[in-house]
Amino acid sequence: MTLNSTSTVELKGVVKRYSEILAVDNVDLSIRPGEIFGLLGPNGSGKSTTLKMLLGLVQPDAGSVNVFGIDVQEDAVAVKRQVGYVPESPRLYEFLTGIEYLDFIGDIYGMKTEEKRTRINEYLKALELEGREGDMISSYSQGMKQKVALISALLHRPRLLILDEPLSGLDPRSARIVKDLLHELKAQGVTTLMSTHVLEIAQALCDRIAIMYGGKLLTLGSIEELRQRASMPGSGLEDIFLKLTGTGDIRAVVEELLK
Amino acid sequence: MNWKNVAHLIRVDMKSGRLIRGQRLTKYRESRLFTYLLYGGALALGLAVGATAGFIYSGVSAVADSQLMTLFHQGLLNLFLSLPTLVLIYSLVFTMMQQIQRSGVKVSVLVPYWLPITWEEHTLASILANFLGFLLASIIFTGSAIIVLSIFMGQVGYAVLTFFALLASAFMASAITEVFRILQVRFIGAVYKSSGRGAVWVRFVGSLLFFIVFYIVYFLITSGTGAIAFVQTVASAQSAVWFIPFLWLGMTLHSFINGLFLQALIFLTLSLLFILGLFYAAVVLNRRFGLYEPPAITVSRGVYAPRTGFLGRLGFSTVEAALIRKDLKAFTRRRELMYIFVLPIVIIIMPLMQSLGATGNPVLAEAAPFLFALVFLVPGVVIAMGMGNMIIGEEGGAMWRIYSAPISAKSLVKSKYFFIVFFSILVTIVTGIVGISAFHPSLRITVIAFVESLFLVFALGAVSLANGIKGADFTELPRPRMMRPLWGLINLIVCCLVAIAILIPFISYVLRFVLFASGQPAIDLYQAVVISALVAAVVTFVFYRIALKNARELLAKAET
Repeated sequence: MTLNSTSTVELKGVVKRYSEILAVDNVDLSIRPGEIFGLLGPNGSGKSTTLKMLLGLVQPDAGSVNVFGIDVQEDAVAVKRQVGYVPESPRLYEFLTGIEYLDFIGDIYGMKTEEKRTRINEYLKALELEGREGDMISSYSQGMKQKVALISALLHRPRLLILDEPLSGLDPRSARIVKDLLHELKAQGVTTLMSTHVLEIAQALCDRIAIMYGGKLLTLGSIEELRQRASMPGSGLEDIFLKLTGTGDIRAVVEELLK
Repeated sequence: MNWKNVAHLIRVDMKSGRLIRGQRLTKYRESRLFTYLLYGGALALGLAVGATAGFIYSGVSAVADSQLMTLFHQGLLNLFLSLPTLVLIYSLVFTMMQQIQRSGVKVSVLVPYWLPITWEEHTLASILANFLGFLLASIIFTGSAIIVLSIFMGQVGYAVLTFFALLASAFMASAITEVFRILQVRFIGAVYKSSGRGAVWVRFVGSLLFFIVFYIVYFLITSGTGAIAFVQTVASAQSAVWFIPFLWLGMTLHSFINGLFLQALIFLTLSLLFILGLFYAAVVLNRRFGLYEPPAITVSRGVYAPRTGFLGRLGFSTVEAALIRKDLKAFTRRRELMYIFVLPIVIIIMPLMQSLGATGNPVLAEAAPFLFALVFLVPGVVIAMGMGNMIIGEEGGAMWRIYSAPISAKSLVKSKYFFIVFFSILVTIVTGIVGISAFHPSLRITVIAFVESLFLVFALGAVSLANGIKGADFTELPRPRMMRPLWGLINLIVCCLVAIAILIPFISYVLRFVLFASGQPAIDLYQAVVISALVAAVVTFVFYRIALKNARELLAKAET
């Protein structure tokens, strides 16, 4: 994999270890501006740790992490200003109302009052939170909380979106809106890095996909390139994923369970 | 009733403590010794205290005349007699506090309704789990102490009965708390529905009032001469108010010690029926409202229009102002944080009640300045220490927002420190006004007390924030931790030392006052204020810098 100096995201020889567990093992990765990039892998493969390192939330034990040419370890705040992030299980301030939370986020990202007002109202309307924005978040359903988390990531027009299971809990209409929005943002030059277990979403949305397993980057490329590498022409991402990660013996597992 | 289900549910509750005990959550190994250490320790301590009390009893009986010995013996029996009522009140306070602390984390009190568990099993497990831990340990301690003491007194039967009465009292209190918990969830739901936006303030004021009333009753009963009066009252007046069900356990003991065994049996039966009634009331309420979710509090309606607010005009950046506003909402809306506002009220209740003669012990003229200092200096300082301790840890699981947002260490510390100091000064002003009204100090004393309380607030606020960042604990289950206990202790010690350092210039005034000494103090009062200010300024500066350093480390090591 070649590293590109004009990349939005660039990881070089990144290693992260949690006592005996090697969470990320010598990963090199380069993400181009304006692409939707999917990071896939089974549970515990190191995806979330990699995403967190991009924001300076986890410090690598070795290697370097650059976002927009900024070394994340050097100036994490400068990186965070340009990034929108939704973690896997976003915990929100449940004692705030939806509108108060988004207002807080707008202020944190230094948005102008008028811009904040317009964009919050736009998003509330688009994701059908209108009428509930004045209620405390503690009363929201999981899907509504996910919508608030997504809006908080998009509100300040970030140049890079880091989304960990972004469509989790969303109703079909909202999920479609988010997918279309990601395509529109891509057209505007916004880079999206997403991690998901829903491989249909990754296949439909991502320009390139990387598959991680045991902390290592197994493969990286477009769907077509992955098909070629797996020698599975015409196959879906699910079959490619299962073959590459060596977890493909599904039939035997099911038969064992049914015994 | 499937007793195995009850045992399983209680075991789950006990295991929730693992998050607190476990340093390593991967490859976690249960330490049975550590799990039961509390109870074993309480038992050992109780046996030791009981034996010591027994030897003292034997010693007194060897030298005292028979009339004095009868009085002493009767006094101890009266103490036994009042214990069930005392434990009932104490357990009520304790279990209710526990419920309030847990209320911040909804998931910890959710009923596993999808499992094949009956409401009876769930309710019984919930009641029993409520008094596990410190409460059960305190009963084991008291019970073992009185049983050992009773061997020396020749009252073993009575002591064993008292021990069971204590357990029954704790169960009774826990059942009342269970009933109260379900009712208050339903009541809160009704309040939210009817009061709309005002629900936030209704809840805030309601919670404070509840605590205040509870504490007044608790302190009146348990403190100083009040405790002795309480024991005497319960012992002598119990039979006059025998119809109050909460006293039936005490009446059982009263009848037993007076040889009225049939009456004791009747009261014991009535007590058990009452406890059973409470249990079934809790079951019925749980069945009816156990899965009830209060409706949403609608704080605002209509089109959203952001406001700039006055914090920006005070020189705060939008990030800092946003953090301050968010914290203000956290401390007025989260019930487990509202507790902090109760502390100053609790601190001033006793001196105030004494000054008003409510405790039956009029304040000595010599003690008035000390009580005034207590009312003036302590509440604001306690708020500064408490808020500093928990203002970072209270973020809990939502801390990812702070980590991932472009918030610098400087902005984080500045906004948190402002919030701590602002609230502490506000509390100092309010309690100061109360203190002036109650004790009528001179203008000079008032000004100095106010200035010194400001010094303490600034310095101890910085110390506690520095330690609060270092010792922050974001664990939310089974209850929000906010601060690691070790760092809480370190903070307490450092704060005490700093407070002594700031107030030491006044030592000659205090000693002169305490020793009724005449002559000039070693230092002029105003010079003492200046020295005190210098010490406070240095401490504030140093610990603010430490807080900044700790915040930088916290934001850079988000994974820990």
